[in-house]
Amino acid sequence: MSLLEVTGVKKIYRSRRGGSSVEALKNVSFSVENGEYVAIMGESGSGKTTLLNILAALDKATSGTVILDGMNLNSIKESKVARFRRDNLGYVFQDFNLLDTFTLEDNIFLPLVLAGKEPKEMRSRLDEISAPLGIGSILKKYPYEVSGGQKQRSAVARALITRPKMILADEPTGALDSKSSDELLDLFAKVNQMGQTILMVTHSTKAASHASRVLFIKDGIIFHQIYRGNSSDTQMYQKISDTLNLLAQGGDLA
Amino acid sequence: MKTGMYPRIALGSIRKNGRLYIPFFAASILMVAVYYILHFLAYSGITKEYAGSSTATDMLALGTYVMAVFGTIFLFYTQSALIKGRKNEFGLYSVLGMNRHNLGRIVFFETLISLGIALAGGITAGIGLSKLAELAFSRMVLVPVNYRFSISVRSVITTVIIYSIIFFLIYLNSLRQVRFTKTIDLINADKTGEKPPKANWVTGILGVVILLAGYFIALRIKQPLSALIWFFIATILVIIGTYLVLIAGSVLLCRILQKNSRFYYRTNHFVSVSSMACRMKRNGAGLASICILLTMILVMISSTSSLYMNSEEALSNHYPNQINAHAQTYGYDKNYGDVAAGIREGIDRRVAEYGAAVTGKIYFYSYFLTGYYEKSRLDLELNPLDNVTTIDYDKVVQAYFLDIEDYNRIMGRNETLSPGEVITGTIGNVKYGDEITIGNETYNVTGKIEDSDLEAHRIITNSAISTLIIVVNDLNAAAEHYAGFRDALGEPLMCWNWDYRFDTNLDPAGQIELGKILNSYIHSELDGQKMVNYCESHEAQRGDFYSTFGGLFFLGILLSVIFLVSCVLIIYYKQISEGFEDQARFGIMQKVGMTKVDIRKSINSQMLTVFLIPIITACIHLAVVLPVIHKLLMLFGFDNMPLLIASAGICALICGIFYAGIYKVTSNAYYRIVCGTE
Repeated sequence: MSLLEVTGVKKIYRSRRGGSSVEALKNVSFSVENGEYVAIMGESGSGKTTLLNILAALDKATSGTVILDGMNLNSIKESKVARFRRDNLGYVFQDFNLLDTFTLEDNIFLPLVLAGKEPKEMRSRLDEISAPLGIGSILKKYPYEVSGGQKQRSAVARALITRPKMILADEPTGALDSKSSDELLDLFAKVNQMGQTILMVTHSTKAASHASRVLFIKDGIIFHQIYRGNSSDTQMYQKISDTLNLLAQGGDLA
Repeated sequence: MKTGMYPRIALGSIRKNGRLYIPFFAASILMVAVYYILHFLAYSGITKEYAGSSTATDMLALGTYVMAVFGTIFLFYTQSALIKGRKNEFGLYSVLGMNRHNLGRIVFFETLISLGIALAGGITAGIGLSKLAELAFSRMVLVPVNYRFSISVRSVITTVIIYSIIFFLIYLNSLRQVRFTKTIDLINADKTGEKPPKANWVTGILGVVILLAGYFIALRIKQPLSALIWFFIATILVIIGTYLVLIAGSVLLCRILQKNSRFYYRTNHFVSVSSMACRMKRNGAGLASICILLTMILVMISSTSSLYMNSEEALSNHYPNQINAHAQTYGYDKNYGDVAAGIREGIDRRVAEYGAAVTGKIYFYSYFLTGYYEKSRLDLELNPLDNVTTIDYDKVVQAYFLDIEDYNRIMGRNETLSPGEVITGTIGNVKYGDEITIGNETYNVTGKIEDSDLEAHRIITNSAISTLIIVVNDLNAAAEHYAGFRDALGEPLMCWNWDYRFDTNLDPAGQIELGKILNSYIHSELDGQKMVNYCESHEAQRGDFYSTFGGLFFLGILLSVIFLVSCVLIIYYKQISEGFEDQARFGIMQKVGMTKVDIRKSINSQMLTVFLIPIITACIHLAVVLPVIHKLLMLFGFDNMPLLIASAGICALICGIFYAGIYKVTSNAYYRIVCGTE
């Protein structure tokens, strides 16, 4: 059975007075296997952020089911949602979302503190991941004291430290310069090789080219998908590029 | 069409920012109402016709000035908090093409609307409540109540003028804030990040040391006179200490807590401790101000209420009997005894003519000297002006010489003394052995007067400094020794003092009338001899006492209410603006897996700390200064510690309850902001 199964998800936003409504997701179905590295691509307004919010249980689908490791997200009670997210998902944001009142270390500890873990265990978990992420020397610093790349690596550490079933990344390279972007993408690949499932939303071809599978979303439906197979990053880049070109020209791939 | 736009925008933004504006309106309405009431009571002449109430109305007149000044400061503060919260909005307007001039117009109309609401609401409320206030005031200062309802046009006009000026100043200030900010700063006003402050050990420890020094000084004060000087120093130290401790000490405390990982890494503490650590530097000063304001309220209201409740006691202390005649003059004259006897006879004759029967007669005269008391010796030659810095006011003592004849009569004793022998009694802190030296004369102490006897016969009333009573066998002979001593101004050091007091069988009106007759008699006899003199009836003085203490208390209550509301509003605005800052932060935490319950808990713990710090500190301050206040109130003839403690306790409790309510409201508002649920 797949780690994540999304079936027939639909999301309709209604304006508050009940007048007009917008269909952000029409009918989305896909699944993610354990250990996979999936990128979802789409333009602004294609519905990819809505999809990610539903997967992260930040928002509820109007209809359809999302099943993570056997649990139906729709059936989780409102009061348990935050807990579920904390225990099962790691989130990496475009703008890092580090808290400026905490040191990087405390930022990374935050989900564990919320889960009520012992300081000793938090420390040992951090020791495991700080070296591969290259943040060992900056843990005592505050977010405003470090570079964007370092911030994002700390945010990745915060996502990893709960040992989540899946990492959700929302445009993780969006706020980084190209060098930091490359480093972060390499890091994602490395983390993925260690067995971590990653689901990334992006509109950067470069970022997507690191994934093992790329889903294309347009106007609220999954439009197309590409498997990496044995292609290198460069070949993958080419494939994605071609697809995007076709999409832009209004071509029909189906 | 175009002219209507600015008022509409102004009205719209006030409506949109209701959360910020409603408390501001409430506060300014209250300020206006209280100002009107004070002015109304002070100037409308309602209480003027009654004797003795003039002190109280003078106090209220003073209160109107305090209100005007405080109102200005406070409204300035809240207005700038309002503008700060709205810089984004102004930024948007300027991006849309409004220039500073246009923004100024919006601000103008906003201020105008605020002024309109404040004046309309405030004066309506003021007029509505003025009768109630007048009734309370009349009752407190013992003036007959009248049930006529009146509106003072003069008070309305003054209120309108004063608050229009205040709001005009506010308008200029907000104009300055909007004008001198760049558009880009207006847009990004909220986002300017701040470094978390480093713990500053030096300042933190210095603050604690200064605070403790202030406490130490306050607790060391033993005498009312020294209280005056030291209390001032202690107050300043405590204020500085409070600021330093709350600014630096609190950051320090947070850092220490952060070091303790078992404490720190708990859901409840983690978020609140770290955000407090970042905030305290900015908030410390605000919290310290609130704390000082609260302390002021508590001190003010507990002392004025105690004084008021103690009016009767103070009255009896000053005027123990129904009729009290008193004369006093400098220097020595062996004829003073005869003068006193003559006056006494004259009084007796007039009392008899009036047809009153006299009971409980007490009369005596005494000489008294003030000096510096050390090692059983009263030094009469120390020049206080040369020794201002070294003088210890706890050691300033006055010595009363009394004749054995008077003593025996008053106390109902039959003691005899030979020359050089004395019977002594003390009030306050004076220690001596078998011998006591006054100036250059040394006396053998052969007997002591019990404190309870002194109390019962009220020989010396209303003494703020330590007093030594010395009964000698021949008062004139003893006084002659000291006739030559002069004080620093060249006046005779010694003072002659005469008292004649008694009760009658008259009703209160009769007592007052008799008091007036005797007063004019004693003035006609003694004014020519350069003597301070009076003859007052207990009853006639009651009005004066109640007027003074009642007026103080009434003013104390009104000002406390205003101060308290201001404190609370300052906290409210602080928390609300922090709420907006924290919105994003709590959003992140929710995404990372913080539950709403956790948020609620962490807000509560943070809020509780912010609210509790000032009030707890204020209560500690109050507890420390209470003994000093007691000493100071002795200058007003107050000596009732249990009453003072009780009223302080009640005041703290009332403040606390009021505070708790606001805490609830504020934390709810904060929660709604950070969780985005309207």
